[in-house]
Amino acid sequence: MEFQDYYKTLGVDKTASAEEIKKAYRKLARKYHPDVSKEADAEKMMKAVNEANEVLSDPEKRAAYDQVGQGYKSGQDFRAPPNWDGGFEFSGGNFNDSSDFFANLFGQAGKRSRGREQYQGRGEDKHAKIVIDLIDAYQGTTRNITLRAPELDATGHTVNKERTISVQIPKGVKTGQHIRLNGQGSPGFGGGTAGDLFLEVQFREDARFRVEERDVYQTVPVTPWEAALGGGIEVNTPSGAVQVKVPTNSQTGRKLRLKGRGIPSTTPGDLYLLLEVVLPPADSEAARKIYETMAHELAFNPRTGA
Amino acid sequence: MSITAVIIDDDLLTLADLAHSCDVSPEWIAVRLEAGLLNLTITDAQQARYTSAELTRARRLCNIERNFDANPELAALVVDMMEEIERLKCQIHRLDKHAIDV
Repeated sequence: MEFQDYYKTLGVDKTASAEEIKKAYRKLARKYHPDVSKEADAEKMMKAVNEANEVLSDPEKRAAYDQVGQGYKSGQDFRAPPNWDGGFEFSGGNFNDSSDFFANLFGQAGKRSRGREQYQGRGEDKHAKIVIDLIDAYQGTTRNITLRAPELDATGHTVNKERTISVQIPKGVKTGQHIRLNGQGSPGFGGGTAGDLFLEVQFREDARFRVEERDVYQTVPVTPWEAALGGGIEVNTPSGAVQVKVPTNSQTGRKLRLKGRGIPSTTPGDLYLLLEVVLPPADSEAARKIYETMAHELAFNPRTGA
Repeated sequence: MSITAVIIDDDLLTLADLAHSCDVSPEWIAVRLEAGLLNLTITDAQQARYTSAELTRARRLCNIERNFDANPELAALVVDMMEEIERLKCQIHRLDKHAIDV
């Protein structure tokens, strides 16, 4: 297990005052806030910064950390000595994806439940994001996800244990929505029930589709004669192939609505097909002739509205 | 192990669920509801049920207040702006799809 230098993470000196730690934390919290940061590893950095702040902003945890960390450098192999936290009073912490170092020293499962012996409590809820394809929202899907949670090992140390669960995601979910997995959060204490795991759903970027709430927009390329003369065409939609009648004299941008073929729900969304007229290239004598005939025969100038 | 997930908007959250998920007390939520900071108009916080969108907003409010010792109104203003940025980003994305370089 690697030693984590929390002072280095926050960019403060070991003698920093509580106010200096708070200031450094706020500055970094702003820099790495996942909703606004443009840094590539913002989410990872935010977790590290939160973890460092959790320890250094709590006087008891900080004192215990200072004592156990004497002489260690960041990344150095570390093993906490037995009863390393003797004489300090703090309660356990818990993070989604906390480092092994944090789990070992401060993980909830490893704490000797000071003051909690008689107390029963529900475990913390955990939050994460999950990326699925739009088609998964139409059909439902199954995803394997790996969860890390602190557990006591045979020697009584807290370690981060990984477990993989298979999650059945129901159809009808939309981007930004949360799905809930009962009992898959942090374990409870004193016999309390486990917390829940909340997954925020996001659709994978797909150039073919745009989604607004439950309505789906799909661009459909059509030939000039299909657009002009109208007729039936087959379109592969997220819910399968459908026969669509293109109205005569359609133009690029014409919107055809397929009611109820958006994301499924008790009130399903609609599917909008956006026609895009694609011209065949004039790359052969025959093609050029056809365009020249049209130019001569059709009195058409789109810039004059004729 | 296979677990079936439940879409929150099919099984809405209670006040206790929402508070637990944000790691705050139900009173914390109720005070912000009453002040209109969760953008919801309800008469009874205890009886009301909460959606995914309200969970996202409540968690953001809570994080801003906690990380920056911000007062609730300031945190709500920040969250309003975050939501507006998201809306505008979606709009830009939509327009980008139709734009061509000339």
